[in-house]
Amino acid sequence: MSCFRKALQAGVAAAAALATAAGIVMAPSSAQEPEPARTLIPGKGSDLTTARCATCHDAQHITRARLSRGEWEYNIQNMIERGAPIAPHEVPVILDYLATYYNRDSAPPAPDPSAAGYGLDAGAGADPAARLITTHACVACHQLDRRLVGPSFREVAARFSGDGAAAEKLAKKIREGGAGNWGNVPMPPHPQLSEADLGQMVGWILRQK
Amino acid sequence: MALERDRSEDSRSREVTRRDFIARLAGAGAVTALTGAALVREALAQEAKPAPSDPPGTVPNAQVMAEKSPAMQVHSERPLTASVPAEQHNFAVTPTDRMFIRNNLLTPDIDASKHRLAVKGLVDKELAFSVEELKKAFPNVTLQAMMECAGSGRSAYSPRASGTPWLPTGGMGCPTWTGVRLRDVLAAAGLKPNAAHVAGQGGDFGAVPTAAPVIRSIPLAKAMEPNTLIAWGMNEAPLPKVHGYPLRLVVPGWVGSASTKWLHTLTVLDAPFKGTYMDRSYRIPKHPVRPGDKLPPDAVVTEAWPVKSMITHPAPNAAFKLGKPVLIEGRAWVGEGAIEKVELSFNEGVTWVRAAINAGGDKYAWRIFSYEFYPKTPGYTTVIARATDDRGNTQPMIPPWNPLGYFWNGWHRVGFMVEA
Repeated sequence: MSCFRKALQAGVAAAAALATAAGIVMAPSSAQEPEPARTLIPGKGSDLTTARCATCHDAQHITRARLSRGEWEYNIQNMIERGAPIAPHEVPVILDYLATYYNRDSAPPAPDPSAAGYGLDAGAGADPAARLITTHACVACHQLDRRLVGPSFREVAARFSGDGAAAEKLAKKIREGGAGNWGNVPMPPHPQLSEADLGQMVGWILRQK
Repeated sequence: MALERDRSEDSRSREVTRRDFIARLAGAGAVTALTGAALVREALAQEAKPAPSDPPGTVPNAQVMAEKSPAMQVHSERPLTASVPAEQHNFAVTPTDRMFIRNNLLTPDIDASKHRLAVKGLVDKELAFSVEELKKAFPNVTLQAMMECAGSGRSAYSPRASGTPWLPTGGMGCPTWTGVRLRDVLAAAGLKPNAAHVAGQGGDFGAVPTAAPVIRSIPLAKAMEPNTLIAWGMNEAPLPKVHGYPLRLVVPGWVGSASTKWLHTLTVLDAPFKGTYMDRSYRIPKHPVRPGDKLPPDAVVTEAWPVKSMITHPAPNAAFKLGKPVLIEGRAWVGEGAIEKVELSFNEGVTWVRAAINAGGDKYAWRIFSYEFYPKTPGYTTVIARATDDRGNTQPMIPPWNPLGYFWNGWHRVGFMVEA
């Protein structure tokens, strides 16, 4: 630390000491806002919302917020890109819940514990491949219909359309990585994927035409 | 150019830790012989459903906060975010225990002796350094520089913007940093002609293995600026774990997200990095939007902080005796450029007086302003501060609302009592 800074610090300390000597009385600072709730309001989709968000966040991230539906939608997409394990079919359930109970423009309806479990197992058996896409974090770089770091699943499906060897080529690409055919960020290799998971995921991607 | 996603490696190493734990439980002697199976079952159940906080390889929040001042206010537990209010900033150099915390993920517990910094991408020669090698290879620099979260002051926006609810004066600090110049390291690697951006990647990880790695790139001009550092020291001591131990970037004056903590990889790119922490967050609309609107597609990346100031003395609601001077003190700073003047108003902005400003220190350090105010009448009195930079920018009363609540630099206002 320079002499200048030491002198400055000493000066500030001396000033503070003088101020205290001059008879400053500290008053309590102005009242804080009440603490936001630590659990979500029970309602249609609240259990699913807790299950998907609470792994990384305290519930107060939600309970202190009042956002428009558009802002909640942006937030959910943002968190999915950051790796939140939310399957595509779960997005509308979570969005409806947040936009209903934590909306800037309208007061929340009465709590509805009987509907809290809604959506928790929706589609889990219907398309396990869609869930694999989420668990393996593909969605951090790829979305269904919008280009992100990499191409959308629809773009990939369209490119391989009519190619008899599509499944084999796409599996190889996912396992070994790619050369950046879609932008300046090449696809990293994913050697840890099991054959079974890879097969299901490739099948799902190629169906998204 | 590629940035490798190392999350699979992270999850593998954590996997090993958990398995070791289970193995230890299973082999722990006579008691275990009776209840071993139950213990293993319980441990496996924990493995399947990890506790909602403090996974292996991370520093618990309680441990982080134990080293902090009681004046620190926690704004979010997961991820950890904390800061002190303005009146706790009345130091020339921000003390380490008052430096703000803003994590995107968890606080990683990194073994410095095994830590390596890799330099790759559009370079002539890829390099890798241990912390000790880095210290010896290049000139060491210590300088004081501002660090401020892009969302600092967010809770002052109305309607309240989405994101961590920083206090109107939270989320900034000005400690000293010790490290090597980023430009020296890049020069040693040799830049290819098409080098345009430098991306920093940190070793923090999330509670879910799918959490995207925190990667942000800065333009080459800022990377080559002599005050941009790869730092290992803060206030002449090793970086605390929560502030990026053992290595971090310090990109002074710019939004904090540019100053990657727990830095392990620098990648030279030919264009800005594409990823969630570049493209989805840390952006503001190119032109102001209606309050409450979503972020428009043409939003731009946040870089240097606009001109800003805060009053650090007196504290809100402090009381003074009529007839004695009230010392008004504060700090003023700007992301790029220099502070030209600081003005104060004691009548809600009707008239303004000039505060004295200390001689400037390091280029990106905040400036200390002060003014002796002689109250003429008793009663509740307010002081407002506004700073102007050397490019003619003055703090607005209220900056334009933006969807993610960045760059709050509205006038700071403090009220105090003058007693007859």
